[in-house]
Amino acid sequence: MKVSRSYKTFTVVNVVVLLVIVFVTLYPFINIIAQSFSSESFIRSGVVNLFPRGFNVDTYRLILADDTFWINYRNTVTYTVVGTAISMVLTTTFAYALAKKRLKGRGFFIGIAVFTMFFNGGLIPNYVLISSMGLTNTIWAIVLPNALNIFNLLIMKSFFENMPDELEEAASIDGLNTYGILWRIVLPLSKAVLATMILFYAVANWNSWFQAFLYLDKQELYPVTMYLRNMIAGATTGSAAGAVADADSTQIASNIKSVTMVLTVLPILLIYPFVQKYFVSGVMLGSVKQ
Amino acid sequence: MKPPALRVAAALMLFGLTGALLTACDGRPSEDAELNLDDKMVGAMEEYGVGDAFTATEALEFTTMFSDSPTYPYDSDWAFYQKLQEMTNVSLDTTVIPASDYAQKRSLLISSGNSPLIIPKTYPGEENPFISSGAILPISDYVEYMPNYEEKLEKWELDEEVDALRQENGKYYVLPGLHEELWPDYSIAVRTDIYEENGIALPETWDEFADSLEQLKTIYPDVTPYSDRFKGNSVLNFGAGTFGTYGGWGYGDGLTYNADSDDFAYTAASDEYKTMVEYFHDLVERGLMDPESFTQDDDSAIQKFVTGDSFAIGANSQTIVSNRATMTETLGADNFSIAKIQVPKGPAGDVIGGSRLENGLMLSSAAAKSENFVALLQFIDWLYYSDEGQEFAKWGIEGETFTKAADGTRTLATDVTFNGLNPAGTQDLRNVYGFSGGNFAYGGTTDLLRSTMLPEEVEWQIAMESREQAKVEPAIPYSEIEREQVTLLSTPLKDYVDQNTLRFILGQRDLSEYDTFISELEGKGATTYVDLANATYSK
Repeated sequence: MKVSRSYKTFTVVNVVVLLVIVFVTLYPFINIIAQSFSSESFIRSGVVNLFPRGFNVDTYRLILADDTFWINYRNTVTYTVVGTAISMVLTTTFAYALAKKRLKGRGFFIGIAVFTMFFNGGLIPNYVLISSMGLTNTIWAIVLPNALNIFNLLIMKSFFENMPDELEEAASIDGLNTYGILWRIVLPLSKAVLATMILFYAVANWNSWFQAFLYLDKQELYPVTMYLRNMIAGATTGSAAGAVADADSTQIASNIKSVTMVLTVLPILLIYPFVQKYFVSGVMLGSVKQ
Repeated sequence: MKPPALRVAAALMLFGLTGALLTACDGRPSEDAELNLDDKMVGAMEEYGVGDAFTATEALEFTTMFSDSPTYPYDSDWAFYQKLQEMTNVSLDTTVIPASDYAQKRSLLISSGNSPLIIPKTYPGEENPFISSGAILPISDYVEYMPNYEEKLEKWELDEEVDALRQENGKYYVLPGLHEELWPDYSIAVRTDIYEENGIALPETWDEFADSLEQLKTIYPDVTPYSDRFKGNSVLNFGAGTFGTYGGWGYGDGLTYNADSDDFAYTAASDEYKTMVEYFHDLVERGLMDPESFTQDDDSAIQKFVTGDSFAIGANSQTIVSNRATMTETLGADNFSIAKIQVPKGPAGDVIGGSRLENGLMLSSAAAKSENFVALLQFIDWLYYSDEGQEFAKWGIEGETFTKAADGTRTLATDVTFNGLNPAGTQDLRNVYGFSGGNFAYGGTTDLLRSTMLPEEVEWQIAMESREQAKVEPAIPYSEIEREQVTLLSTPLKDYVDQNTLRFILGQRDLSEYDTFISELEGKGATTYVDLANATYSK
């Protein structure tokens, strides 16, 4: 097929623009990785850009030898796995039920779900609720409160609605009950959306620190994101309250921040390329199609 | 469709329920509770006074918060806790909170009723939001059980400053850290080698500072000599004191007290504040001060200083040590020298602003219901306010982490290092042993405070001793409702002042418009705010 000149020009411009965007997006990552391998004085002088200067792995050794870091890392993995599992079960079953038009009170349930997207009890009422149930300082305070993400729910619901009814009818004629249909017919066909949702939930759980901050008081229960946050925002050299000299006003090596950042992001970075194909098609799955 | 009668009944019930709930929630603390603490003496010492070491008569445990700074992460095995328990028979059940969000978590725990008994790291002023709910103890009622605290208040004449913490009911709710003398720390660090090389004397006044920068600019035309950090809030803070006003971090509520007329005026509308703004505007206009000082992040400012792209930067005793370490690598140890200059003197003369009170602690009201209440008071008094307790919290165990000579000089033990002292040591006093941490070790005598300073800092402190402390402002005893009003008024005013201070200094807004700015402030509620303050004060 012959391509016109204007099409060629368009392609070239397109590629250049996209390359620029890729570089702009990629630069901060590469910069942080470079910083994590550089020595303090070079970072302070601002000469570290794409490549490490004064290459050393000292800070990596320091962090990886810190017990607290590993304990927190293990916590993050636990919270992510358990949280994602619970979320997936809840979201899938709820979405499947809502997808059936014959469900009585369907509008009501959808209404409640959407209502929670806009309104929320507030920080202190939520805290009082969770603590009165005795869930503080347990894993359940992390994985239960935000288990259902309504946005994800609606995407899944749309997907299930778009599945042809004939499939399920045929299956029920062959003798499958509702659970059987869900488990053996619908879910195997929904691999794309399931993978996407798992990815969404996993990343959200991996990155979350606020829940942990609210409901956990013990250092050994914190996820690694809290460790990182305290490292970045906890050591201040001066603050609004620091009008008087403070025994605590010191600085933390910028190297430690970048090392912890790299270590925290690493697993997600490694997993993403493999689930990427699902991600692209999965997001569009919730859209209308016929 | 429900019948109308049913709906009306439902609405009435809803109103009734809400009303009942609201009245039930009106749990104001009984103002003049009996201060007889005879039934709360379990574990307390019968005779306890200044000079007595506190030991609980039975093993006690108190709950406390702890602000976990990443520079010295919490470790339950710290020698600090073991030794404390040995000496006082008290163990601490600690709720560890990351320093990054300490204020928010503290607020959450107090508001939800789950607060530990001891709440450290509370700056005077931060206790205000918790008073009306009754969650915090009015500690001023109980200071008679704290002999060391009272002794220091009297000896160091801190009554006026502590009185400024009193609320409308005459009580105060935070136990501040006490300093024998004002402890200035922030100033400007300069390249003393460059000053010396070019025969420029170190400046002692703001005018001399500007002149020295001018000279440097002539010799090094490509360099903007002064590039500040802390977003300019530090220099506006300590600078304001020398101009007779308040600014930067120290702007506070924006009210300046006038002793002659015994009333308050709005700070930004004063001549002194304007003079200060004019001074810094002048520096920026002449190309002597980097306009980015007020917006750049600290790392950018440090970068310029350590690579020799600027010759002056804001600093405190710790940042200067850190800068020096970096510059040894970037410039080479023999190629530079830096030091903090004396806080330059301004039109207000030989004064500096500041307070001798620093962060302290609050107690939860639940403490007053505990049978160990008196023991708790004695424990806090000993640990935070007695000379022995303060030395313990700061230096540790004599014979183990430090030794004390006959004349009182303290030296770290051979393998112990801290804050640049005894650099050969490998065990950091804070990280490894848990002493000198900000949750327990603060305030005290000048001797104690200086004991962990490097010699150059002690020199600086001694040179600054000649400065007089600016007059402390009296308290304005707001009621709860007034305090809310005040916050609603003062916050947008402060934002507007911050914005325009920046615009005036950078030249984005011409200084001739300053009077217009003042009338804009009045339009934004400054007059209402000041009137409210004066009305409350004169009550």
